[in-house]
Amino acid sequence: MIIPAAIILVVALLVLAGSDRTRRTRRYRPGRPYDFQPMWFLASPEQVTGASAGADGHQKAIEAPILEDATGHRVLPGPVGGASDSW
Amino acid sequence: MTAGDLGKTAEISHEQPLTALTKPGGDTLVADPEELGPNAVLDGPFTTRQLLRLDEALRMADRQTGLTFSVYIGELVAPSRETAEKLHKQIDGSARAVLIAVSPNQRKLEIVTGHEARKRISDRDAKLAGLSMAAAFAGGDLAGGILSGIDQLASHAGRH
Repeated sequence: MIIPAAIILVVALLVLAGSDRTRRTRRYRPGRPYDFQPMWFLASPEQVTGASAGADGHQKAIEAPILEDATGHRVLPGPVGGASDSW
Repeated sequence: MTAGDLGKTAEISHEQPLTALTKPGGDTLVADPEELGPNAVLDGPFTTRQLLRLDEALRMADRQTGLTFSVYIGELVAPSRETAEKLHKQIDGSARAVLIAVSPNQRKLEIVTGHEARKRISDRDAKLAGLSMAAAFAGGDLAGGILSGIDQLASHAGRH
């Protein structure tokens, strides 16, 4: 009788310990606050060839489709390209 | 600290604070795992394994394409596009740089390509990669979405 009670107690403690809602979860979940510090990742520059060249910004980029930002507003063509999205 | 503050600080010091690397020319996580610091790893949204995969993906993308791939994760001050472009300009050789800026709180994603990189990765290619990434983010897979985005953008850029 004592042994089953002890097992139940241990299981209950484990369940309660695992359901600590105040503990911060690291996994990102949409809609939940993301309060981590900003991070910026870059690879090392020895793989970058001619990185310092072509920074004048005057060269015409190739023709591209209409670029829109995350809110759907049109972004005027500029020296940089890319895309925007939201989820 | 917001991205705006980040930009102001960077303009003053000409460095990139709050990055995973101390500077764009610093060692990668693989080369020097101590560079990131144990607390930074533990406090971030990624596991160490995910960080190493991200680092490897960036290095592979750089090596294969000759472009500079970069990932920013954090708040993007509105208008987010302009903020992302400002961050992109801070990268050495920004003409050949590709920045993936993700704001999980705002649920916004910005991909910025420099004018040289744009010749290899068209805006349409970037949009396709962005759609794929946004789908992963919507499912809560932050690391997977970023890795997928880097892979797609590098594939579109092709080998140099």
